[in-house]
Amino acid sequence: MSSGKPLMKIFLGVYLVIFFGYLLGPLIIMSVTGFNSPGFPRAAPWECLTFEWFEVLYDDKRIMNGIKNSAIIGAGTVILSVLMGLAGALVLTQIWPKLRATYYTIVIAPILIPGVVLGISTLVFWDRISVMLGLSNDSFLHNGIFLTILGQSTFIASYCALVFIARLQRFDTGLTEAALDLGATNVQAFRKIMLPFLKPAIGSAAVLAFLASFENYNTTTFTFGKFPTLTIELAQKVRYGINPSISVLAFLIVALTVVGAVGHEIHLRRKQLALANGAPIGRIGGGFQLPRFLRGNPAAVAMVLLAFTGFSTIWFANAYSPEVCKSEVRAEKRVLQQQLIEEVRQKRLRQKQQKDRQGPDIFGPEKSLVPKATGPATKSPGQGTFGNVFNPQNLDKAGPNSGKQKGGGPVTNPGKSTFGNIFDPKNLKNEPKSGK
Amino acid sequence: MKRSWFMAEFFERNGLALGLYLLLAVVFWLFILIILPQLSMLDFSFRHHLPPPEMGGPKDVYTLEHYEYFVLGAQGSEASYNIVDLGVFVRTLLAALFVTLLDLALCYPLAYYLGQSQGGGFIRVLVLLLIIPYWVNEILRAFAFRIIFGDSGIINELLITLGIINNPVDFIRENVALYSGLGYAYILLMIFPIYNVIESLDRNQIEAAHDLGAPWWRIHWRIVIPHAKPGISSGCTMVFMLTAGALAAPQILGGPSSLWFTQIIYQWFNQGGNWPRGAAYAIILLSVCIFIVLSVMRLFKIKMGDIGK
Repeated sequence: MSSGKPLMKIFLGVYLVIFFGYLLGPLIIMSVTGFNSPGFPRAAPWECLTFEWFEVLYDDKRIMNGIKNSAIIGAGTVILSVLMGLAGALVLTQIWPKLRATYYTIVIAPILIPGVVLGISTLVFWDRISVMLGLSNDSFLHNGIFLTILGQSTFIASYCALVFIARLQRFDTGLTEAALDLGATNVQAFRKIMLPFLKPAIGSAAVLAFLASFENYNTTTFTFGKFPTLTIELAQKVRYGINPSISVLAFLIVALTVVGAVGHEIHLRRKQLALANGAPIGRIGGGFQLPRFLRGNPAAVAMVLLAFTGFSTIWFANAYSPEVCKSEVRAEKRVLQQQLIEEVRQKRLRQKQQKDRQGPDIFGPEKSLVPKATGPATKSPGQGTFGNVFNPQNLDKAGPNSGKQKGGGPVTNPGKSTFGNIFDPKNLKNEPKSGK
Repeated sequence: MKRSWFMAEFFERNGLALGLYLLLAVVFWLFILIILPQLSMLDFSFRHHLPPPEMGGPKDVYTLEHYEYFVLGAQGSEASYNIVDLGVFVRTLLAALFVTLLDLALCYPLAYYLGQSQGGGFIRVLVLLLIIPYWVNEILRAFAFRIIFGDSGIINELLITLGIINNPVDFIRENVALYSGLGYAYILLMIFPIYNVIESLDRNQIEAAHDLGAPWWRIHWRIVIPHAKPGISSGCTMVFMLTAGALAAPQILGGPSSLWFTQIIYQWFNQGGNWPRGAAYAIILLSVCIFIVLSVMRLFKIKMGDIGK
């Protein structure tokens, strides 16, 4: 490696930052949106730190139901795939050499077949089986859980088989032969030698299978029937309207993953350390040795930090109330809205003033004639001659009537209201035209 | 004769119980789960779209109707070819190819760096960081990209705040979100096979080439890449197949004008209700993808056994 050169090191650093930014950035941003108060998940205009989406998530029955279905399907898939994967791997070690390549191809093909195709083929196949058997649509062959477990196991078993094949390659067949020579039966040899040897592989295959089943979408979307898994529910939520509770879920998954991965790493480290020192594993894990252990282990440091932040978050969540901040933001928004309304009002006022000034010029001659002719009449002292007609009592009667019909014009300008029905509507209709 | 002898030896070696378990599990998996459903789908794709009562009746005969539809479009339409579906199909394959190459270009340097460095805490942390996104749900990963690239997403907000643009860029319509999301979805299936292979490369070979005066690109071209070929091909195959067959990311990140081929299949199944046609389209996708992968493997002289290591 030529990382000795400083330029190369800079390039490498930049590249690493970009790569891991691409890899982790989306997850971080998504997690952050789970703590922001706006109803649509967004990180950019930060409003309030809130934990309300945790509650929303917890109260979401569909999500919770999805988790339940996912757990059931996951358990079934783990059992079926580990059993089939194990058998597949063991048969590979014994199969006729000529058949081996073909067999291997078939076994790993499901990994490469698009999940959509697997889902469709499972659906079609079992549908036909049930038609052939003359079963009704309610039979177990149409059950979403049954079909989904089969569809997922088709390819998840291949993952498991790969894990077992990798492990079996390191198996010393001499061990089994020795056991058989010493008088063990086949079953005994399998149980006492092969199974203990495969135990770690069984564990990791099971974890792998469960996670693969839990997050599968492409196959499940064709087979789930009446039992939507978590992934299906999420997909529907994401496609049709979302709120940040999904981000909270993502945050929880990421946090769990980090804790799990770091824990696993620490476990591995301990084992390696123990092996390197030639000491039994149990001795390394002593509580008083932890500080020294921490010093040399960034993963452990990260773990402690994570636990610390976790606890402080919980403490903070109890102590902190987002309501204050939210009401502040609401108040801010209200102020902003008020400003906007004020602006609009000012604008209208200005337009009105402008129009009032320009009014006579803009109005057409025929139209302007009417107000011009009647305008003075209302203001003129001659009003008195009409006496009772323009009585304030009459105004009160006319006021509500015309007020219902058009705007508040008559109220603000009572003098006009007597003529209101004649030219007020016209004025109002002309207003926007003249304003523009 | 030979086969029965083989079976006898099989049971002798494993005992009856274990032998039965192995046989049953493998037969169930290979035939009931893998081979028969595929064959059944193939058969189904050659049948007319019939209401259930007519299935198996006199009208239930083999037909090429759905494949014809894929190429020629609906009968009586003006265009002589089914431009929409064919276009989507070709675009899906090209985009999948593009995403695969993008992932390869992104992953190769990191895989080389991880594989050839001496280990140590930093590298372990990097590998740990690599694994984290893989455990996060596929839907959520796509959703993250939607948050980032949305109209009020963080990139648009950032660009507007910096004054680079005035109006939000519609990344979703431009398919930027889709390609980044797809590249992201399966990037780990690219990096780990290459990493595993490069890790097994003897560092002395590189040093020897270096001492003999080879420039860095020649070292990669002549030593690292030939050694890493199984890993590269394995990664590329998986990423290509999975990207072409992806459904979640296009559904969530796809723009209104761009359709992924799997979405068409999905529509035939869930909205159109025409299962045989959906099955035919699935067969087309599967066979063309397999053909592409096999021919690329033939081209670069890679064996099937290398995949999945």
